Amino acid sequence: MAAPEVHHLFHAPIADHSFSSDRSTLAVARDNNVELYKRSGNAFRLQDELRGHDKTITGVDIAPRSGRIVTSSQDRNAYVWEPSKNGEWKPTLVLLRINRAATCVRWCPSENKFAVGSGARIIAVCYFEEENDWWVSKHLKKPLRSTVTSVAWHPNSVLLAAGSTDGHARVFSSFIKGTDERPEPSAWGERLPFNTVCGEYLNPTAGWVHDVAFSPSGDALAFCAHDSSVTIVYPSAPEQPPQAVISVSTQLLPFTSLLWSSETELVCAGYDCGVYRFSGSSDGWQLTGTLEKDTSQSRPGMEQREESALNMFRSMDLKGRSGAGVDDTKLKTVHQNSINTLRAYDESGGQVAKISTGGVDGRVVVWNL
Amino acid sequence: MANINWRTINIDALDPESSYNFDLSTLTPAVQPVSTADVQTLTGQIRQLLRGGDASGALQGALENAPYGADEQGKAAHLSVVTECLNQIRQAEMTPLLQRMYKAEGGSELCDTLMKYLYKGMSQGTDTPTRNHAGAKSMTPQATGGFSQAGGRNFGGTEGGGQAMSVFLSWHEKLVEMVGPGSIVRVMSDRRTV
Repeated sequence: MAAPEVHHLFHAPIADHSFSSDRSTLAVARDNNVELYKRSGNAFRLQDELRGHDKTITGVDIAPRSGRIVTSSQDRNAYVWEPSKNGEWKPTLVLLRINRAATCVRWCPSENKFAVGSGARIIAVCYFEEENDWWVSKHLKKPLRSTVTSVAWHPNSVLLAAGSTDGHARVFSSFIKGTDERPEPSAWGERLPFNTVCGEYLNPTAGWVHDVAFSPSGDALAFCAHDSSVTIVYPSAPEQPPQAVISVSTQLLPFTSLLWSSETELVCAGYDCGVYRFSGSSDGWQLTGTLEKDTSQSRPGMEQREESALNMFRSMDLKGRSGAGVDDTKLKTVHQNSINTLRAYDESGGQVAKISTGGVDGRVVVWNL
Repeated sequence: MANINWRTINIDALDPESSYNFDLSTLTPAVQPVSTADVQTLTGQIRQLLRGGDASGALQGALENAPYGADEQGKAAHLSVVTECLNQIRQAEMTPLLQRMYKAEGGSELCDTLMKYLYKGMSQGTDTPTRNHAGAKSMTPQATGGFSQAGGRNFGGTEGGGQAMSVFLSWHEKLVEMVGPGSIVRVMSDRRTV
């Protein structure tokens, strides 16, 4: 397994990041701007900046086929950025009609809609209105009782999953007449008018949900919550209780982001700064390991640390640290702070081979699975 | 009219859609209400086990039947019996006991419950003043939908407090070794308080 590819872009948190479909452009949310980096050789160079928001940007997403970039920010706005002929990016304001911060944004797979979660207990489903030539939104309101922390799309572009600080992960229909085609009936529902609630799930402790994700087929839903757990839901049939709800509590700090790498495997990352793998099926799930490689390298360090009591006390006395000569200001993980987002980097046939993570430490890391 | 300080008006109270006007308890996992009398019967049984010398069994029983649905008084009674169990178990027995508990079916849940009691115990100070200021603590954090573990910390620790604290702290140390920081986070995020 090749070592992860680390790009330390700057010393500021990365709230969200997104790669273009050819992986040559990387969009990174940094404070009030989105920075666009271009790959040159093994590194990424700053190429452009999308300025327009006047508060912290919370989400950025590049549509894989059209190349349009959507951004959401705490200033309650979302912009769709399109490249113009002279190479500049032209923003179009989206009418979100929300009175609190926008917290997250994601394009749907068909790329004609996107969903914006907000602190106003609303998900704005946005679509382009040809006759007025702007992006308008329809609100998913009920039964959200608190801030929406994450949104995720089903492959059919109609079902939308949302995690919220009220502890629930929900599945909604975001069917918009004239924009969407009628979806195939699935285990989530058959007739799906806008704002149909197809599922509402809670984990045992009702901790707030950080992230949600549909499996590649869309037949299962996973969400991670602030109680350090990952919950996987397998629906049975419309309006029926789910076939299985599996909750895995871990010994780690909570996960903030998760991703299905295949139908039977999940990758999670969060406050523990590392990337962890889970695998299982509707019969049960468990934590199977981490992507961090240096667990073996850290051992010699530990032995060295206990090498002699004299050195230890001398070091404690002189330098105020407990390890003798060991640099204990660095974490053993690749990321040196919490990981905010996890994205698929390379996938083929429903199998993700590479993922990318962006964290509070200003690093974007590409991992091989 | 002119004297109204507009900034102090709670606008959420005027908005019918606001979560301020919404009962948040409907969002939390359903807990069975438990009467104080039931808690007392249970604590009686646990004390019997404890007198019989089966401290680990008593602790296990107490954790398995944590009265999430009891009122403040019932919860305080259960806390004091859990504290008694913890006090009875010797330092050397802690780790093997926890290991057995964690490995068993549903063990991680039990460990999380124990962690809740440790934090609750530490937030209360000693066992005896708990009963004295039980009245003062009746401003239940439950009513505000907050976390009871975070509220009501007794900083004016009394003389005997150190002893009780050291028991809680050594349990805490042993427990964290086993279940990691995940369990601490669960205590903070769990709506089912002890």
